[in-house]
Amino acid sequence: MKPQPLDPRSKLISAIFVAGVLIALDDWPSQLAGLAILIGAVLLLRLGRAWLSLMNGLGYAAGSFFLIVWVTFDLSAAVVVSLRLLALGTVFFLFFKTTAPEDLSNALVKLGTPYPFAFVLSASMQFVHVLARRAANIRDAQRARGIPLEGPLSTFRHLPALLGPLLVQAFKLADELAEAMEARGFGAPGRRFRREPHLKISDWILMAAAAGLFITVVL
Amino acid sequence: MVLRFEHVSFRYSGISDWGLQEVDFTVHPGEMVLVTGASGSGKSTLCRAAIGLIPHFYPGSWEGRVCVDGLDTRDHPVHELFGHVGLAFQNPDAQIFNQTVEAELAYGLESLGLASDEIERRLSWVSDVVELGPLMHRAPYSLSGGEKQRVILGAILALKPRVVLLDEPFTHLDPGGAERLRMLLRSIRSEGIALIIAEHRLHEAVADVDRLIVLNEGKVVADGPPRRVWAEDLSPFGLNLPPLVRFFREQGWKERPLTLGEATAVLKDKFYKGELSRFALSEGLAPKSVGSSRGLTNSPQNDSSPMIEVEGLDFGYDGKTVLQGVNVTLNRGECVALVGRNGSGKTTLVKHFNRLLKPTRGLIKILGQEVRTKPLAELSRHVGFAWQNPNDQLFQANVRDEVLTGPRALHAYDRDWCDRLIERFGLEPLLDRSPFQLSEGQKKRVAFATALAVRPELVVLDEPTAGQDEPFRQELAVLMKELRAEGRTVVVVTHDLEFAAQHADRWVVLAEGRVAADGSPNTVMADARVLAASGLRPTQSFQLSEALERLGKEFRLETTAP
Repeated sequence: MKPQPLDPRSKLISAIFVAGVLIALDDWPSQLAGLAILIGAVLLLRLGRAWLSLMNGLGYAAGSFFLIVWVTFDLSAAVVVSLRLLALGTVFFLFFKTTAPEDLSNALVKLGTPYPFAFVLSASMQFVHVLARRAANIRDAQRARGIPLEGPLSTFRHLPALLGPLLVQAFKLADELAEAMEARGFGAPGRRFRREPHLKISDWILMAAAAGLFITVVL
Repeated sequence: MVLRFEHVSFRYSGISDWGLQEVDFTVHPGEMVLVTGASGSGKSTLCRAAIGLIPHFYPGSWEGRVCVDGLDTRDHPVHELFGHVGLAFQNPDAQIFNQTVEAELAYGLESLGLASDEIERRLSWVSDVVELGPLMHRAPYSLSGGEKQRVILGAILALKPRVVLLDEPFTHLDPGGAERLRMLLRSIRSEGIALIIAEHRLHEAVADVDRLIVLNEGKVVADGPPRRVWAEDLSPFGLNLPPLVRFFREQGWKERPLTLGEATAVLKDKFYKGELSRFALSEGLAPKSVGSSRGLTNSPQNDSSPMIEVEGLDFGYDGKTVLQGVNVTLNRGECVALVGRNGSGKTTLVKHFNRLLKPTRGLIKILGQEVRTKPLAELSRHVGFAWQNPNDQLFQANVRDEVLTGPRALHAYDRDWCDRLIERFGLEPLLDRSPFQLSEGQKKRVAFATALAVRPELVVLDEPTAGQDEPFRQELAVLMKELRAEGRTVVVVTHDLEFAAQHADRWVVLAEGRVAADGSPNTVMADARVLAASGLRPTQSFQLSEALERLGKEFRLETTAP
């Protein structure tokens, strides 16, 4: 991911304000307008395809919420809740898609978060893929021995066959990773970041606009 | 000197054997040293001690001292040494922890506290050295094994260390990747950086190194220029000697050439001195180590009836084609090696044999019956898999249950057969132990037993020799012979072409998802077009065999010329 023009801190603070606004709005036309604006931003940033993949998963959640709230309360509340969920998802999608994890951890350190905590946040994203690939290998290895791991029920029944090797490998990976990180100076004092975050005028304008919107709607 | 081990002994806490014993050697700037030895001989322990992880990370008994660039590792924690010495660990996935290649390369530089313009300068330099320019913004998990290795080396080199250690760097590389790594190592050495390579696959690196250190049970048992070390008796140390060395030893000759060019020159010299007859060259001088790749016909129970038939197989996912129009027939009792670059579709193909994967198009028959109509559980009784990483399948509380999991799940428990397997793999003393407490070699044995526990007619071995020493390779060769003698078909998915040439009748070469060649190892290796398309290299045994044949012809011509 190339460096973005906005500081991650301003984006994070603005995203939190916008999320607050979306939570506060309780009529469907406002939620719809908010979602439309956010989709406009998605298209402007040429993130349409990735957003559609997100909607693939989030759509199910929104649909489930819609049904539950409709049955429990009424149709209007159901529409508001599902639109809100989609809009909130889109806000944080925009934030994460335009912020490199390293930039985020640098920004968190600048905001006072201890470095190990901020680093674990960004490093863990890399290991989601590694562990997902290991889980797929384990599943194939166990299926090849005749352990039925097809479908959710069967997978649940034979969960130890999947989780046992995965946990053991995850612990081993964590041990190896700790060595490798130490060997590249994880514990060294005086770390300096390659891209030091700096708040520019555009960042202040963005945060002021988001804060203004929040104050107008919520207060 | 940049690295000095001074009478170093180390024993891991809770383990009775010493990992290192009285290890004493010195490495100078720009020197390239190959450290070898059987599994458990202390190679990885030596690497850890060199960068200070031992004694700072691993508790245990420590004697002697290690100095890196003048710094005693006992007095300096790892984060004070990492700018002086770097280690590329065995597992690439466990040492890349940033989201982009660029961030990975920059991580150590940030740890050093360098100014951002210096970081940019070093990033630009190192991305050129390790040729990562076009990959700088890629996510590391999406890279190939060879590319990941270049990222790891780049991240270390960016720190401009005096010494770089690599723990089994060739293990997961295909022949093309190995060649590229050799070139990179030469260029690192030309920068004046000392290199220490811990490796089983000696033929990959020995021609480039200045020194060879052999470890056995933590002790240095040989140390010197490779030619001098080859002259010593190394038989007790479980080394996988390069084919050239084995050949000259078998002939009882004292010369120890490191390259084919040197070997050819020695042979010519011997001929002109009359120590080698023309007849020997042209007719009979195929040593045991080479003979197997000069036309293998050892197929004890090959009755030519098909075990697996693959017809017009296509497979792809996410719009990416992985296999295209694959046609292969594997017969009963055959041993077939599936070879090709990383990502050429080898593992994808074998996963179709028992419907772990379902083809996009085409059909697969097992023992004459289409697999499409069979459930995976039924097919698993015919096809046994021993995967590269045995940890992918171990989950039971003890070894006995682990071995019997397959037979119980498939209702195919044959007590006599399982008892024989347990005896065959020497598992009796381990039966009540947790599989997680076993050594990697013991885990491999358990994995083989589980693959065979339901008496499958087809056995697939996935990279069985990766990271394994010579005793294991020999044991594996015996196992494969036994399986074939029982009429089972053995499929070996491998990058280890020396092993594949010695023990497989046939090579099926995959290149970009297609079968580029299907024939004897010799036929494949003699076809330059196939080698180029599939990124393979002829084995040293094959090249030696060809050189002998060429010399035979040359001398015949010379002696018959008017």
